[in-house]
Amino acid sequence: MKLKVLAAASLSLLAITAAGCSPAPAPESSAPPAEPGELVVYTSRKEDFVAPLLEKFTADTGIEVEALYADDAVINRLKEEAGSPRADVMIGNDAGALEYLRLQDVLAPVGDIEGIDSIDSAYRAADGSWFGLSARTRGLIYNKGLISEADVPTTIWELTDPKYKGMFAITRGGNGSMIAHVSALRAEWDDVRTEEWIRKTKDNAGAITNGHSDIRKAVGAGEFAFGLVNNYYYHQQLREPTDNNVGFIYLDQAEGEMGAVVNAAGVGFVAGGPNLESARTFAAWVLLPENQREFSNASLEVPLNPEVEAPEGTAAIDSYRAHGLPLSRLGEVWEDTRTLIERAGLDLELK
Amino acid sequence: MKRLAHKVWTRVWRGQPPQGWLLLAASATAALMSAPVLYVGIRALSEPAARWEVLFDERLARLLWNTAALAATVGVVAGALGVSLAWLVNRTDLPGRRTLRWLLALPFAIPPYVGAMAYVIVFGPRGWVSRAWESTPIDMYSFAGVAFVLSVFTFPYIYLVVGSAFGRLSRSHEDAARSLGLGRWAILRRITIPMLRPAIGAGLVLVVLYVLSDFGAVALLRYSTFTTAIYYQMGGFDTGAAAILSTVLIGVTLLVLGAESLSRRRSRFYEGTGASGSSRRVELGWVRWPAVAYVCTVFAVSSLVPLAVLGYWAWQGVFLTGLDARFPEFALNTLQAAGIAAAAAMVLAVPVVYLRSRHPSRPSWAIERLALSGYALPGVIVALGVIFFSLRLAPAIYGTMLMVATAYIIRFLPQALQSAAASLASVSPRIDEAARVAGLSPVAVMGRVISRLIMPGILAGGALVFVSAAKELPATLLLRPAGFDTLSVRVWIEASEGAYHLAAPPALVMVLLSLVPLKLMLDRYKESS
Repeated sequence: MKLKVLAAASLSLLAITAAGCSPAPAPESSAPPAEPGELVVYTSRKEDFVAPLLEKFTADTGIEVEALYADDAVINRLKEEAGSPRADVMIGNDAGALEYLRLQDVLAPVGDIEGIDSIDSAYRAADGSWFGLSARTRGLIYNKGLISEADVPTTIWELTDPKYKGMFAITRGGNGSMIAHVSALRAEWDDVRTEEWIRKTKDNAGAITNGHSDIRKAVGAGEFAFGLVNNYYYHQQLREPTDNNVGFIYLDQAEGEMGAVVNAAGVGFVAGGPNLESARTFAAWVLLPENQREFSNASLEVPLNPEVEAPEGTAAIDSYRAHGLPLSRLGEVWEDTRTLIERAGLDLELK
Repeated sequence: MKRLAHKVWTRVWRGQPPQGWLLLAASATAALMSAPVLYVGIRALSEPAARWEVLFDERLARLLWNTAALAATVGVVAGALGVSLAWLVNRTDLPGRRTLRWLLALPFAIPPYVGAMAYVIVFGPRGWVSRAWESTPIDMYSFAGVAFVLSVFTFPYIYLVVGSAFGRLSRSHEDAARSLGLGRWAILRRITIPMLRPAIGAGLVLVVLYVLSDFGAVALLRYSTFTTAIYYQMGGFDTGAAAILSTVLIGVTLLVLGAESLSRRRSRFYEGTGASGSSRRVELGWVRWPAVAYVCTVFAVSSLVPLAVLGYWAWQGVFLTGLDARFPEFALNTLQAAGIAAAAAMVLAVPVVYLRSRHPSRPSWAIERLALSGYALPGVIVALGVIFFSLRLAPAIYGTMLMVATAYIIRFLPQALQSAAASLASVSPRIDEAARVAGLSPVAVMGRVISRLIMPGILAGGALVFVSAAKELPATLLLRPAGFDTLSVRVWIEASEGAYHLAAPPALVMVLLSLVPLKLMLDRYKESS
């Protein structure tokens, strides 16, 4: 009796399995280039941020999208696959990683892209292998109930000041935004001073968290007076139903100071990807002003293109002073910044 | 010369060399199962020595300590829980023991990463308890939190193994001790526990191997062990370092297995038959009420609370916010990848166990060992191996769902092997001979006669493989092609984002699926006791 049930169950299982496989040209079946109407996207960005954009792309162009949401794991996956690429487009969180992939020949240009000039040349690769679309500006989120605006540090170096001991939170060293931030500091200062900053800031911090969401929630809930995050986490916290009495400080704004460190989320093109035409279509499509806006809409990031309307309540890119470093410079130092961070004693992963 | 070779060959096989096709099928399976691991080793050894040194200097000591401390703590806690509970329900007059007996096995059906999610919802920094009382008794994101979750969801390994050993344990030793005037606690300490040592050891090894290989619960609770370090190393940019760490972890795993087989060799008991009928149980007296309270507490913590949390969020997810529209697609993906793995495992298992059983020898032993190698391997290492392997030798499957299925087969084929081997053990070789005499070819003997006779074992093995594959997380995360998310992957993604109303429905599906192997295991346990 039991045997019969098991047999029936496994038979039906096999039948379903076979049925699931049989519509022969399954999109994932092996190497040959998929039919023209397809685009394979790997992304390290959160699904909530990217999925609406890709749905709009399919609705506008009819091109079906297969997406892989896999955090920073996609970077390594793209590198491993370089010999037989499976993806066409990489949507990344960090210009440093995009440029790093370009330097490894994993990303390559797809030809002239219409509308590329709408992005400031500091925010894209010279050859068009990748371009940034939305700004991720570093700064301090603070709890207005715990600290007044005047008492929040105004420069990044002040995080080393013992008077802030235990009052703030930072992320682990392996966080992509943190790596990019440290790379920018290395370009501004030098390695010795950068290392000193990491060591002192780490010892001063009240908590080292896994990601920025933890920081914005903890600062909102009053666990810390302030925290080092990207600006859109502040905008996200403002929209929370509770714990939203928070403010934000752009750092190093005074004359002669370095300006706020800006990183960019953007789009890169995989060298030898299976659907070149679709990738070209996507490049031109995503640069249309309405799609540039859509790119940063869900995450509440701010478009790098000042012509594009910023999400409601956010500070436009030209309303504060940004650090002038071309983002492609982040790529060269990208790998050994991790080593520097680790050497300074800030763990890449939480232990 | 030729005759000499033939002689040696026959001697190696103890006079019964197998047919070529059988040897070929079984060795091909063994090769497929062990190739990815070999690739990991090769990749690690081809890294420059400086890379090893850097890792040894900076990471290894702490990772070893983190991993060993966690494995030891979970081993002790889960061991204490498992042994005490098995004793209470099997050997005492605990009220309600019949019901409690299977209730206590229930956490076996809850994947630890699902359990971790449930406890983050309850005790996390912004969880139910801290919302209500502004503080929590336990910090989930700490060593204590991880150790707690892993202990609570792995003790059934020990509980089940020791429970079934209690069933087999003949009572004559205890009766003899009693007649010599030993008290009941002295009997427990001096007779029962020492006789259970092999079972406790086997259960502990399962728990420790689990802790070494767990990715989901450890990562969700933000602790760091070898396995999570390897995963993040791959997520980072560095497969070379991941391969090196994997090689060290394989070494640690072999050490654990070696220690177990050593200790088993040292303490060997021979079970007499008979005398297991006497049903005298230890009378607990007034202790039974605290004992009932203890058992119920463990049940509440390990099953009731997590299932209630899941149920609550699944209800929220399905009826208030609506199920994710892609849920059927995720379920179909799971069904497809796990189904292919289960079907393949059922087919691949037969030649290996048949060779081992009908041609016992050193080579067939080695083939079986190699085919079993996935058993102790963490999913991250299997994934790493499958990536290296398929990129170089099978580029056609690279980036397809078959890569995921291959990893499942490597990891879980041992379950199909064990199940088929257990069935085959009770089929006499005389039947083979009879079938041959009746004119069937050797292939038909194995493929038609024997396979049919051991079909219950094969199917049970397939069911185990299917469920394990459906729950598998790390290899699926690393290997899935674009657009191919499974239920387990969705639980992970949504739980990491704190979207519990989306994580709970697929998690609940997995718990329900896991009831199948639990049922099989309990049936086996009932038969043996």
